[in-house]
Amino acid sequence: MEPQSQVQSGKSVELTITSPLDLLFNPRSVAIIGATPRENSVGGVITKNLLTKFKGKVYLVNPKYDEVNGTKYYKSVLDVQDEVDLCVIAVPAPAVPKVTDECIRKGAKVTIIISGGFSEVGEEGARLEEELKKVALNRIRVLGPNCIGVYNAFNGLDTFFLPEDRMGRPKPGPLALISQSGAVAGAILDWAARRNIGVGLAVNYGNKLDINEAELLEYLAKDSRIKVIVMYMEGLKYPGEGKKLLDVLREVVGIKPVVVYKAGRTKAASGAVKSHTAALAGNYEIYRAMLRQAGVIEADNLTDAFDMAKALATQPLPRGNRVLVITDSGGMGIQSVDALDTRGLQVPELSESLQEILRKQLPPLAVTRNPIDLTGSATDAMYKFVLDTVLPTSYVDMALIIALMQIPGLTINLGNYIVEARRFNKPIVVVSFGGNEYVAKFERHLEESGIPVYHAPHRAAKALWALYEYAKIKGAIRGWVA
Amino acid sequence: MNPIIAKAIEEGRYKLLEHESFELLRQYNIPVPDFALVQDVDEALRVVKDIGYPIVLKVVSPDIVHKSDVGGVILNISNDDELRSACERIRSNIKEKAPYARVSGFLVQKMVPEGLETIVGATKDPIFGHVIAFGLGGVLVEVLQDVSFRIVPVSEEDARAMIREIRGYKLFNGYRNMPARDEEAVVYIITRFSELLSDNPNIVEADLNPIIILERGKGAYAADARFIIGIS
Repeated sequence: MEPQSQVQSGKSVELTITSPLDLLFNPRSVAIIGATPRENSVGGVITKNLLTKFKGKVYLVNPKYDEVNGTKYYKSVLDVQDEVDLCVIAVPAPAVPKVTDECIRKGAKVTIIISGGFSEVGEEGARLEEELKKVALNRIRVLGPNCIGVYNAFNGLDTFFLPEDRMGRPKPGPLALISQSGAVAGAILDWAARRNIGVGLAVNYGNKLDINEAELLEYLAKDSRIKVIVMYMEGLKYPGEGKKLLDVLREVVGIKPVVVYKAGRTKAASGAVKSHTAALAGNYEIYRAMLRQAGVIEADNLTDAFDMAKALATQPLPRGNRVLVITDSGGMGIQSVDALDTRGLQVPELSESLQEILRKQLPPLAVTRNPIDLTGSATDAMYKFVLDTVLPTSYVDMALIIALMQIPGLTINLGNYIVEARRFNKPIVVVSFGGNEYVAKFERHLEESGIPVYHAPHRAAKALWALYEYAKIKGAIRGWVA
Repeated sequence: MNPIIAKAIEEGRYKLLEHESFELLRQYNIPVPDFALVQDVDEALRVVKDIGYPIVLKVVSPDIVHKSDVGGVILNISNDDELRSACERIRSNIKEKAPYARVSGFLVQKMVPEGLETIVGATKDPIFGHVIAFGLGGVLVEVLQDVSFRIVPVSEEDARAMIREIRGYKLFNGYRNMPARDEEAVVYIITRFSELLSDNPNIVEADLNPIIILERGKGAYAADARFIIGIS
């Protein structure tokens, strides 16, 4: 397939060829069918979102209004003079087929149908969904129905109908989210916004009448602003779509990492008891098989997924599994070794000659084997010395740095030293733990400079594991044995 | 459609007979022990000259699901006299325990030497299509649920990964006085089995149980196989 977007300047992405999926995320103009000035209603939040943030043209459609606060309302999308790239539909379900038909006649190529009340509510809704399908089939691409739609931090396209004071919006960034659940998507974005994690694009596909996970993955793989795709999934629904998803995932993983959290695991466990292979192939087991076959990084929960994603988005891939651990706490060092070892990563003892060099500069109580324990008398300069001395050597492939900032010898300047160590082109993750404002400042500084910070050693270890796994998948590890 | 499967469907059977299963595997170069379908003891005595002792004798019947339960399997037959009495014994066992079962004949099958017993199975999932399972044989697969899965088509790399994924994989590299096992032979069987399934969408369930894995370099055999056909 031809790449359909290209980076023109440093920041903005200009779309040269516009496929319906491009227009879904990057429309030049949007019509909101069911727009309303009523605050905190679904249509109202979307209207406000787009009017205040969207960097493109917005047309409001609702026959009940002519003009509100100087903004024109159209009776029908057909009354709009200009071209409409994307229609966002938020009207009661029974009216959806009719307005969808109008969007088609207007010439829109793609629509986001926010409205619920379709197959998710029973037989009558399913009938309505069939009717909608007949209207839309081969005439317009549909995201939804019954979905929360698209969040695009780059251009302000935001159909998430949760008010800003309830759901924070993350800053633009290299992560993308595909979520089967709209509520979960909203919660994740709120969580990410609070933690200053950049989520550039997020999408929820609801009842999946048309556009599915596989197509969204294909689009996100092509979007050069996105470095890592995080996917929350519960289960597939159509016969045969598993194989298609496997094929697409395999292709996408060759381009950029995909982290998946599959919920609904335990149903499988109960089925996996009998020796009969029919019963052994419990549901989750098949999903897990698919993820492994595709080379997807599987997460155990949502925070786990983002822990790994932010490392994958910011760090280079390691060339091996050996980790340098630097700590100012012996206890945290031991915990890290446990966590790394459990994940199949090594903490190799440093050579005697290298340790000799370290010993000459470090205080007598410091431990130089690896983990390198600088103890409570650690200073910024000691961390810098160890990083600059050991990280560039061929003994280690990546670094896990524990900095408990409660000791007085450490200052915010340590952050600069760690950021400077990026020049060695090896993955670096930091464990920081505490509650005071100084710690928070230190962490923010690192994260903003592209060094992921974790509040527990096992989370940092898992992030390094993800980098190592992806390096294996990309063939960056030599002499790999599965 | 594969003629073996077509024949089963034509006869209204949802399950392949023992020798049909072996023939299907043979078509895909999956190693099976030498075998022959015979009608009586004289024919058995003739074919065994080619196959050679020791052998297993099994009843072949479309009506018997669990052959061992009705005394339809006799292992480790090592000469003509034992073969004669085995035929006799199976006949009387069937007469007693499954009097109404139709008997299509006997399967004379070469005994496979002892080795590591594993299972390769398959199901057909509505969403994912054929899924292959791999695990150690016997009680372990039940108690430990030590099984790995992959979706068809399964590449060599996938097969290797699924073998190495199970906890019991250590046994492949030899343990105490047990020799290392022929892992690549299993990789080969899994990939061939995957192709067999791809070619035959009618198969809804299959088991190669056990697959006996010999020492490294000596191969692996599917010592028993079961195929269920979906008749729609």
